[in-house]
Amino acid sequence: MLLSTIVFLPLAGALLVLLAGGRGDNPEREGTVRLVALASSLVTFAATLYLWWAFDPASADFQFVERYAWLPQFGISYHLGVDGISLFLLVLTGFLTPLALLSSWAGVHKSVKLFSFFMLALETAMLGVFVSLDLFLFYLFWDAMLIPMYFLIGVWGYDRRIYAAVKFILYTMAGSVLMLLAIIGLAYAHPGAPSFDVLDLYKLHLPWNLQNWFFLAFALAFAIKVPLFPFHTWLPDAHVEAPTAGSVILAGVLLKMGTYGLLRFAFPLFPDAAVFYAPWIARLAVIGIVYGALVAMVQPDMKKLVAYSSVSHLGVVVLGLCAINVNGVQGAVYQMLNHGVSTGGLFMIVGMLSDRRHTRLISEYGGLKAVAPRLVAAFLLITLASIAMPGMNGFIGEFLILMGAFNQYPWLTAVGATGVILSAVYMLWMFQRVNYGEVTNPKNRALPDLSGREWAMMIPTVALCIFMGVAPTLFLRPMEPSIAKVIELIHGVGR
Amino acid sequence: MNGFAATIPILIVVLSAIAAMLAEAIRHPGERMYIAGFGLIGLVGALVASCFLWDTDAVSFGVVRADNFALFINIILCIVGILTMVFSNDVVEREQLPAGEYYALTLFAISGMMLMAAAIDLLVIFLALEVLSLAVYVLTGLRRSSAAGAEAAFKYFLLGAFSSAFFLYGIAFAFALTGSTRLDLVATAMASGPTQTLALLAVGLLAVGFCFKVSAVPFHMWTPDAYEGAPTVVTAFMSTAVKAAAFAAFVRVFLSTLEPLQGQWVPILSAVAVATMIGGAVLGVLQSNIKRMLAYSSIAHAGYLLLGIVSANSAGKAAILFYLLAYAVANLGALGIVALLGTAEHPHDQLRDFAGLWRSRPGLAGLMTVFLLSLGGFPPMAGFIGKWYIFAAAVQEGHYWLAIIGVLTSVISVFFYLRIVVMMYMTEDAAAPVRPRVSMPSMLALAFAMLATFYLGVLPTKVLDYALQSIQTIF
Repeated sequence: MLLSTIVFLPLAGALLVLLAGGRGDNPEREGTVRLVALASSLVTFAATLYLWWAFDPASADFQFVERYAWLPQFGISYHLGVDGISLFLLVLTGFLTPLALLSSWAGVHKSVKLFSFFMLALETAMLGVFVSLDLFLFYLFWDAMLIPMYFLIGVWGYDRRIYAAVKFILYTMAGSVLMLLAIIGLAYAHPGAPSFDVLDLYKLHLPWNLQNWFFLAFALAFAIKVPLFPFHTWLPDAHVEAPTAGSVILAGVLLKMGTYGLLRFAFPLFPDAAVFYAPWIARLAVIGIVYGALVAMVQPDMKKLVAYSSVSHLGVVVLGLCAINVNGVQGAVYQMLNHGVSTGGLFMIVGMLSDRRHTRLISEYGGLKAVAPRLVAAFLLITLASIAMPGMNGFIGEFLILMGAFNQYPWLTAVGATGVILSAVYMLWMFQRVNYGEVTNPKNRALPDLSGREWAMMIPTVALCIFMGVAPTLFLRPMEPSIAKVIELIHGVGR
Repeated sequence: MNGFAATIPILIVVLSAIAAMLAEAIRHPGERMYIAGFGLIGLVGALVASCFLWDTDAVSFGVVRADNFALFINIILCIVGILTMVFSNDVVEREQLPAGEYYALTLFAISGMMLMAAAIDLLVIFLALEVLSLAVYVLTGLRRSSAAGAEAAFKYFLLGAFSSAFFLYGIAFAFALTGSTRLDLVATAMASGPTQTLALLAVGLLAVGFCFKVSAVPFHMWTPDAYEGAPTVVTAFMSTAVKAAAFAAFVRVFLSTLEPLQGQWVPILSAVAVATMIGGAVLGVLQSNIKRMLAYSSIAHAGYLLLGIVSANSAGKAAILFYLLAYAVANLGALGIVALLGTAEHPHDQLRDFAGLWRSRPGLAGLMTVFLLSLGGFPPMAGFIGKWYIFAAAVQEGHYWLAIIGVLTSVISVFFYLRIVVMMYMTEDAAAPVRPRVSMPSMLALAFAMLATFYLGVLPTKVLDYALQSIQTIF
């Protein structure tokens, strides 16, 4: 029952928020609503930490499995389980949601009740995606997640929010409905009665023709979500127009669903197609790395810069996945976590600046170091984590990825590695323009430094960046058996 | 007495319709009377009777058969009818509709629909079709002062009469070929012996008649006008109930009687389904009137249901029933809200009328969102399971292209459902229209529809089982 509890705790919190908020849009209850929402997300986080503690790191199997018949006529069950890959994504989701909620305390004043409701409902859907072992259940969470995100962007976003929200939902849906058909086709390809159970379907060996089409449908859905070049165009709009909390969750967790989906579903379910298409996906990933980095470099808007940097960073993750060896995949999974923490942190910082100045243009800032030294210190540490400085979390992930990918695609990896350098260029350049030099804009002279609430957001983020950089084995060891098992599945050993 | 058993639900509804008419006759001018109560009693009675008849497979007079299939449709119709009665009680007086006629005609229409679902004789189907159609034509034009209403009713009537003629012509061919209008006798005669031109003509003409009633492209021209011109509460009623009844007869005739000729009609109906899905979704995007928008949405949904008929394995057949139920509660809820917010002066049916609804009526906006998302096929709402079930049937039958077109058009349709959501949540109301209060019973009815939407979306197993059981009774 532990996994169900974790998944539905936020939803219970969301309903509690509705009760606490009273009738209509009641500004007096704002404080209560915020506390209730934060408390429920913290309880969820504590539950995910307990899960980590209780998790057996030596096992490659799914743990805490729950399985009940749901639609027995169609072989659909309520089947949850967690392994070394999904475990940390759950913890990451649990970690980022309270921070995202905290980040909204300054920026969101319009109908806080509804905002908190959608944030918590979103958390349930995200957690559900990571623990579903039934394709129908997975799709249900996958699609249900779009609704709260759509509202978060559309109601609480910036100027072009409606455009961004509609683009986000239509783009993602268009990809995922084809996956729905592939899921149905796959379930009926199961000999005998149809089955949507992932563990059953892993055992299938489909003919090439089916694998090909199904893989393409799955890969398209996930490629849009990642987003892989050239399916990335929804991302800058959604990230930039979303409120800070939405951007944190989008970059921190939602993008990981694409890479998670590739690793959990698309690759092991259709191994022949995966091996065939992996080099092509790797090429797209490398194009994305370089393209994202180059576009990020010329952005005048900090938020847009960070958004494009996500395209580049996620390209690195996909490159690691496409290596289909232990180093590459392990690095990719680790980098998913790192990117969640560091990019989430960057969006929080950008949010803090724009809460203060109501602009995100780099040219509006300059010399912040003298005005708000603590904020800049946190900014610096997170920037360093994001560009993979040795000693920070990003380094471990990127190093493993490049090592793994070099075995498979030496030339591609060489090109992809430039992305690591480019990321240092655009991030540090932005950092320099915002924080160093003289205070050129008089409006920046009186910017307040970190408040207590912002300390509470920055300390865990920065601490985690450093902790994951110095103690990676704590994370890598529980992943290893599960990753080895997935790679075995893809390469057909033990099938 | 047993001979009447199958007709009991129909008779109960007819009696309540007569009671409504009498009540109107003895009502003093200006006296308030709770006429909707007669309808409620009758429909609840029919609902209970339908439940009692479950699994009895009663046949009356050899032409009406209360098998589980008919009863399942009856139950959908009763739910639609009861919700409509509750909404009507709020709306009829405000919109200055003639109460007695309105309730009597609605109830007569429902009795016709029930007969249509249960009829096992082509001529009785035709009779039922006429009973329901005539009532609905009049309901469409019930606002005598409204020019749009009169135009809509006239258009609907002319085209409807035309399609009825097609339908009757089809029956004549079937009779000429097989010497009977009884569905089972027609079936045996059609199955034996080679396919003849006459049989194909009969199939084609019957298909045209049905396609008109379910508003499939290219026989959909009347739908947007009729839906827009009719009083909104009538739109809500006819977009759900008429569709359910017409599809019931469509399924019964095509999937049991004419199944031997499947090879001939599947390609044609596939093409119609594709045109309907694309037409409904694409044209819906262009609308700025909510009633027209939902009219095109109902066309798109007819396309998905046709996809269910085309993919006629056992899953596809049950999918149609489930889909009808899922569609009925969501669509009735959505149009019900439009009806409840309208007044005689201000129909509240333009897209911009919904601006900022969330601020002034958070509850209604929330309900509307749930219904629209269900229509759009989002989990965990009923519409998702319904669409999933239909597409699963199509994939199972190997109609991959139809399924792909289906899912892509459903993405297009999400776009226009979201336009309403954008209006409600993301646009401020500059000049908020005066929105009437919604009474408690209507709120409860909407809440019921919402609960049903979630129930069918999260725990559909039971209802799916019933759908599967009931569809098996027609073969």
